[in-house]
Amino acid sequence: MLKIFQRLWQVNWAEQWQYRANLIMYLLYWLVSPIIYLAVWTSIANSKGSVNGFTANDFVTYYMTLLIVDQITSNIVIHTFAYKIQDGSLSGELIRPIHPMLTNALVNNIAFKGLTIMGLIPIWIILFFLNRPDFSNVTLNAILLAIPAMLIGFSVGYLLSAAITALAFWTTRVYSIHEFYYAMILLFSGQFVPLTLMPKLIQDIAQYLPFQLLIYFPIQLILGKLSSAQMVQGYVMGGIWLVVSIVIFNFVWRNGVKRYSAVGA
Amino acid sequence: MNTLKLLSAFLKVNVQMALAYRADTVVNILLNIMWLGWELLSLSIIFNNTETIGGWGFGELIALLGVFRLVHTLMIALIWPNTEKFNQSIRDGSMDYTLLQPINSMFLVTFSRITVWRAWDLVLAAILIVVGINLAGDIITPLNLLTFLLLTVSGAIVIYSLWIVLIALTFWFIKFDNNVTILQALLDAGRYPVTVYPVWLRIIVTFVIPVAVATTVPLQALRGDLNFGRILMFLAIGIVSFLVASRVWKAGLKQYSGASS
Repeated sequence: MLKIFQRLWQVNWAEQWQYRANLIMYLLYWLVSPIIYLAVWTSIANSKGSVNGFTANDFVTYYMTLLIVDQITSNIVIHTFAYKIQDGSLSGELIRPIHPMLTNALVNNIAFKGLTIMGLIPIWIILFFLNRPDFSNVTLNAILLAIPAMLIGFSVGYLLSAAITALAFWTTRVYSIHEFYYAMILLFSGQFVPLTLMPKLIQDIAQYLPFQLLIYFPIQLILGKLSSAQMVQGYVMGGIWLVVSIVIFNFVWRNGVKRYSAVGA
Repeated sequence: MNTLKLLSAFLKVNVQMALAYRADTVVNILLNIMWLGWELLSLSIIFNNTETIGGWGFGELIALLGVFRLVHTLMIALIWPNTEKFNQSIRDGSMDYTLLQPINSMFLVTFSRITVWRAWDLVLAAILIVVGINLAGDIITPLNLLTFLLLTVSGAIVIYSLWIVLIALTFWFIKFDNNVTILQALLDAGRYPVTVYPVWLRIIVTFVIPVAVATTVPLQALRGDLNFGRILMFLAIGIVSFLVASRVWKAGLKQYSGASS
């Protein structure tokens, strides 16, 4: 099994490396909105002293951490997989004795991440010198504590995206469904603004949804803003959603493959 | 006259194409309403915490959102679909047939695909602009309104010209598939007044990829922030950028040698 992953890694890394210009464009595209939010909120915090207890530095550290966390926990499986179901090129992968979504597509995503993170590092350093955030509250312990949270966040996000991608077995409108899912992420994950600044109702709902596991929970862990009770609650939610997303993905995938009949069959 | 006739022919073809996918159109409009809801919610969250951003009030940001949506519609209804077709035609050589037609090739390449249902977005944008201006309650003089309209048009022309230049680069670098991604990436910066941004970002979105010229600048005219000289300058930029773009397009055409030669 390890050998299979090794080989998949080589192939996928080489494939992603071929498209490095695309990758830079993607990175740029993805970077813009956090940088804009950072600018908007720091400008508000600077003009008012603080926003609901958030100082300008709190916003800078939040979004600077978000850039890294989001890069680690997000995925692009919808863009690399849904078309294979639609045009039938999945057939070749289905006859292999390995799970297409949980081996090849997964490794492909991680290779993509590896390259975008390499591209992000120099940009992050430049942004660091432009914004001069004060990260003195971040401890090594907090970062170590956040690593499993980011792994859970990535796994939950990947499985849910994979389940949505697998809806392509039934409908051609899978991209529209994904757009809706993406809007949910914006609303409930803390991508736009730290969740404590969202309306109370959204905060209450967000607690029980998986989206904050992708962004808000790991960031708060790294920045050391959570009490131990909140940490436990976050990890419990993470565990529950991991199980739920495994069940959802398996259900959708199994039924989908049963329905699948390739183009031309 | 000929151009208008062609444009209406293009529209007819595109309406027919859209009618073949009615359910998709409904879904897309629903998603569009969802995004509008999100945009309004995010503005209300911002203004729950402050009265002004970069010196601009809630109403002014709603109007800015309207102008931003105009540019966004230009991007999504015209720029994306035509770019996709254009890139394909450079790769497989079907550009030859476009060039053989007795019409201005730049016009043909940039207007043959139109995502027609996005017209509804223009209505929405107009509503946002009117509501925003009313909310702002500024004493808006007819002159300000006029310059606002003029600068909105000239801003759209600047974006259109930049697009022409970007796709014309494909004539030189055949494998330049990402030609408009950079424009799309920085477009989001048009949602907020550039006065909020740090200097380096302001420079990028004003001079390099001038999204701000099409979004912040018209609004500044509406607020009466721009003096006469400035207004003339931005109008001139619109005209000059269009002239430059047509020049670059013509030079690019000379480079084009078909896919197989």
